Amino acid sequence: MSEISTAYLNNKVGPVMRQGELAQAVAEAAEIDNPGKKIDVEDKVAYLRIRTDDEMILKRETIEELLGRPFSMNDLEVELSSFAGRIDTQTDLVRFYFVKHL
Amino acid sequence: MATLGRLDWYDIARTTNWTPKYVQEDELFPPEMSGSMGLPLSAWETYDEPYKQTYPEYVKVQREKDAGAYSVKAALERSKMFENADPGWLSVMKAHYGAIARAEYSASTAEARMVRFGKAPGMRNMATLGMMDEIRHGQIQLYFPHEHCSKDRQFDWAHKAYDTNEWGAIAARHMFDDMMTTRSAVGVALMLTFAFETGFTNMQFLGLAADAAEAGDWTFSNLISSIQTDESRHAQIGGPLVSLLVANGKKAEAQKMVDIAIWRAWKLFSVLTGPIMDYYTPLEHRKQSFKEFMQEWIVTQFERALIDLGLDKPWYWDQFMAEIDTQHHGMHLGVWFWRPTVWWNPAAGVTPEEREWLEEKYPGWNATWGKCWDVITDNLLAGKRELSYPETLPVVCNMCQLPINTTPGPAWKVRDHALDYKGRTYHFCSDGCQWCFEQEPERYAGHLSLIDRFLAGMIQPMNLGGGLQYMGLAPGEIGDDAHNYAWVEKVRAVREKAKAA
Repeated sequence: MSEISTAYLNNKVGPVMRQGELAQAVAEAAEIDNPGKKIDVEDKVAYLRIRTDDEMILKRETIEELLGRPFSMNDLEVELSSFAGRIDTQTDLVRFYFVKHL
Repeated sequence: MATLGRLDWYDIARTTNWTPKYVQEDELFPPEMSGSMGLPLSAWETYDEPYKQTYPEYVKVQREKDAGAYSVKAALERSKMFENADPGWLSVMKAHYGAIARAEYSASTAEARMVRFGKAPGMRNMATLGMMDEIRHGQIQLYFPHEHCSKDRQFDWAHKAYDTNEWGAIAARHMFDDMMTTRSAVGVALMLTFAFETGFTNMQFLGLAADAAEAGDWTFSNLISSIQTDESRHAQIGGPLVSLLVANGKKAEAQKMVDIAIWRAWKLFSVLTGPIMDYYTPLEHRKQSFKEFMQEWIVTQFERALIDLGLDKPWYWDQFMAEIDTQHHGMHLGVWFWRPTVWWNPAAGVTPEEREWLEEKYPGWNATWGKCWDVITDNLLAGKRELSYPETLPVVCNMCQLPINTTPGPAWKVRDHALDYKGRTYHFCSDGCQWCFEQEPERYAGHLSLIDRFLAGMIQPMNLGGGLQYMGLAPGEIGDDAHNYAWVEKVRAVREKAKAA
């Protein structure tokens, strides 16, 4: 079968952010909050797809520091257009993850 | 004064189930409206929504989203985007708004069904926000195109399409009514929020936003990607439901509904999203091909999520993957050929350099679809435009309501999937569409396709003029080639250059 029919065999998780200041901060926060993990950032002009394998954590404090202004975790939604994996929304962090590793 | 963290009170605030004393549980939640599959209330209370949002947070975040979308529109209103845009791009907007805006109101009533009849408190809370999201999507996608109505009356179809019997509107209504307006709370959660919104809406609202950004249409790009931030939240209504049903022995029921919704959404997207991405969007602004967007959003992201939640790939997976390469090319050819019957001006998208791109993205295109376009192109070059118009109607499928077509050329295997049911013969384009019908024939059996109506004499006079009148297409609205055939001259120049060399 072609490449497309097996493309679901992956473990990539992470947010798809509308382009802008917050998207840049989230891409940087992904590096800081997930030490040792390889973070891919794909720029599609309208959106940034930020991905890593199996689990990605984004902390409110990290984003706040990168933005240089107060940031509430649920403000992420203003620019969070989509995401890969499951989501776990907490007061001070958001986690993207899969339960099964393929 | 110390206040509780939101997660310390969230569950208590939204846990609103009680034991009814004056009515039976089934009177409070009629099974046909709840779709509860006989599971006890205790099972529904295990539903745990992953994307938690409270009402005050919702109001604050939505206000910020709208402020963003409307301020970009206001800032760019004098940018002459409409005057400067490629006509193919204007067709993208017309097709999008007409097919989508009014369906958002149906989506709102679908969300409202979960608000009232969902047996899981978390579902009711998320759906309350989702219901308001969909009202936003309906209103904003009527307001934005409205500014163009005075310049181009095809934009009026943003509001009008769903009130007509135009064939594309019939197809869109048939599908959206199936998954939104005629399903139980559980049906809506599985088919609309899970299958359609975590899957397909990403194609139309983010994939297309990438093309819009490339085309410099920031108002549209910003609008549709903002809409998708609402979807991204309320689409999560379906996920925990899938887990709950799988855990309670209802996997087969969940799988079936999801499979129907994916197949039906695929067919509609093959006629709407495929042509606009691979033919109408100007070549230099195409971020990716339709197939590449399908791979990114539907296969890599959505199918992966489906497997994580405990479902399987749909039974028609191989057929679906094969169609991603082919189906929308046939739909595009049909839409362009029957162009008087649509509310936008289809761009042919087949200049020599566009055909080169199509061949690169879809190897074999020139030897198959290209041969059909050769005939059309030769007729136009010879000044015989009348031969490029249809004289007959296509056979349309009794499920997706779209013309039955497949790849032309030596491998031609178009086949009518016919089924007799209660004295009537139904025609389908594919095993997938026939299978959807067979799951619940009574749901679909009474519907007449446009061709059924034509053959029943409901469309008079029985010619193109009568057809256009029936479809509500007035002069000034009926579609024609987006570039007024200027692309034919590009072909002529290339051929003459080749001849001279």
